[in-house]
Amino acid sequence: MILEVKNLKKVYGDKTVVNIEHVQIEQGETVGLVGNNGAGKTTFFRMLLDLIRPSEGEILSKGENVMQSDNWKNYTASFLDEGFLIDYLTPEEYFIFIGGLHDLSVADVSAYLTQYGEFFNGEILNSGKYIRDFSKGNQVKVGIAAALMQKPEILILDEPFANLDPTTQIRLKNLLKAQSGSMTTFISSHDLNHVTDVCNRIILVEKGIVIKDFKTDENTLKELESYFSA
Amino acid sequence: MLSTFLSHQRKSFWRSRNRGSSIATQIVLGFFMLYFLVLALGAGFGMAHLLKYFFPNQDVIKSFNGIILYYFAFDFIMRVQFQDLPTLSIVPYLHLRIKKSKIIGFLNVKALFSAFNLWPFFIFLPFCFMKIAPTHGALLTITYIVSIFSLAVFNNYLALYIKRKSITNTWYTFVGFALFAGFAALDYYKIISIMAFSDAVFQAIAAHPYYGFIFPIAAFGIFKLNADFLRKNLYVEELSSKQEKKVSTDYAFLNRFGRVGELAALELKLILRHKRSRSSLILGFFFLFYGFIFYKEKAIDRNAFGQMMFAAIFMTGISIIIYGQFMFAWQSAHFDGILANKINFKDYIKAKFLLFTIGATVITLLASFYGFLSPKLLLLHIAAYLYNIGFGTVIVLYLATLNYKRLDINKAASFNYQGTGATQWLLMFPYALTPILLYLPFGIMNLPYWGLMVVSLFGLIMLLMRGFWVNFITAKFEKQRYKIAEGFRE
Repeated sequence: MILEVKNLKKVYGDKTVVNIEHVQIEQGETVGLVGNNGAGKTTFFRMLLDLIRPSEGEILSKGENVMQSDNWKNYTASFLDEGFLIDYLTPEEYFIFIGGLHDLSVADVSAYLTQYGEFFNGEILNSGKYIRDFSKGNQVKVGIAAALMQKPEILILDEPFANLDPTTQIRLKNLLKAQSGSMTTFISSHDLNHVTDVCNRIILVEKGIVIKDFKTDENTLKELESYFSA
Repeated sequence: MLSTFLSHQRKSFWRSRNRGSSIATQIVLGFFMLYFLVLALGAGFGMAHLLKYFFPNQDVIKSFNGIILYYFAFDFIMRVQFQDLPTLSIVPYLHLRIKKSKIIGFLNVKALFSAFNLWPFFIFLPFCFMKIAPTHGALLTITYIVSIFSLAVFNNYLALYIKRKSITNTWYTFVGFALFAGFAALDYYKIISIMAFSDAVFQAIAAHPYYGFIFPIAAFGIFKLNADFLRKNLYVEELSSKQEKKVSTDYAFLNRFGRVGELAALELKLILRHKRSRSSLILGFFFLFYGFIFYKEKAIDRNAFGQMMFAAIFMTGISIIIYGQFMFAWQSAHFDGILANKINFKDYIKAKFLLFTIGATVITLLASFYGFLSPKLLLLHIAAYLYNIGFGTVIVLYLATLNYKRLDINKAASFNYQGTGATQWLLMFPYALTPILLYLPFGIMNLPYWGLMVVSLFGLIMLLMRGFWVNFITAKFEKQRYKIAEGFRE
């Protein structure tokens, strides 16, 4: 068990946005968080990353409360939104900065980036632009590549497929599938097709509460579709 | 249609998020505006006396004529630096069923809503009515007013045209000021006189009032030029400033500080790559001349360091004060990223201290030219410098942990008060008062050098305690980080 959520609650005013009693994530699982807008997915991820203080409860990463220790940062990489990018840097500078935090040398970083030539479609590296000048899709690519570069044990992505072009969506799926087993992945998505394809476990949330939590099989997509069309 | 546009504009002004968020800020800003207004009016009504005071051996009208072109040259330099381009506001209208000419008309009218167009009236009109009208009569007074108004309009559109064509650069502003100062000096030593030229122009107008038409014609010409340029280039990406190729940079001198240096380099890039922080930086250099106001010969002779302390603190610590007042908020756009990444908070705080120390050191070295006025001032600067890096940094960073206001650094720079809260205004009190209070008892006992020593010693002790302060601020930061992050996400 690598992640454990206990009695987690976040209340804004009189509205409970997240209310998760107990969830355990095992090492190597690829978990998809599914739910409509306002289900509390992003708030949950932010608490997972210690960006929001929970009203109640705690999140344990390898048994340690994420609020009390910084150790989880050593093996957790994430990309929730553009707020994670330092947008006045060139992509190269950003990758080198993030790599440096994980003791990767400049040479390590450029070696790593060479595998991403296809993923970047030749538009990102040596483009002579700051990250803020990129389209949203390309910004997402930078964020995801920077997260994967950290070789994390836990990867957290919030709606990674949104804003990506179809080719990149498929490439991203392949990337995520290739890593499964070694890496614990936590993604949220509105795209039921992708999420059932990539994930081996689905957590369905509504208004902050876990409605369903199950392993994926060939019927999962149908089940989810019927749930959301009801 | 124009009135609809203007009403939208008014709404966007009053309903913008940061507006009205803090009434205190509004009130303080209101006072500032009022203050400048009163200053301008005072200058306007006191113009006759001022001119007599500065140019005692000249007829006032001659002096008045002489300063008009100077004023507008200065006005032009300031406009190129500070006046905003009204461009982005038209984006939502471009694809709608609205004629291009209407949109251009709106842009042109909107451009007139600028404080720069208000000052000339306050400054010059009173004199026109008080002195020109009795001497030269109504017709010429009207010609003067029309000329001054036209010069303002001319400057207005010429500055915008230059900005639109993106042939401007911050350094040009410096060059402009240097030229301006150069001509003023030439005037002073009576080599080439712009004043005489300016006077000759207006003398000619006084003799032949119809010459006055030159100015409105010129203003209309530049207005047309601007409108035509807009008509041909009404694409937002062409109207906003041109993109140049961006390159990655590496600040080798910061590498020796390890991870802290990396974080400081990151922030240095932040400062240099955003317009708002860049203009703060330039403002900081302008404040280097602050000393000429405060360092009076009398004060230097009497060793009245208490009087001069404020200026010294302000000059040597300007980078800390200006950059520090929005500390953390500069990074509000990617603050989540900083928290979620593997960045040690202690390193993060240390990087801030490092950056402040470098900034204050550079500016103190630059300010050492005051040593030519009197070497004593160097001692004063050293005391102020030690205080700034020792204790000023701590005050600024402590207050920064109480600042939850998002700052959108990509928004245009000058006269943008977003992210300004009461904290920022209060910052100056403990910052400036501490050293003055430390000095005061020695000043009263007439032991000025002892006073400087005490201030220096205080700064030095705080500097030696930096390890403690870093821990103190880090602890506070860790406690406040959720609140700060929430405010910055807003």
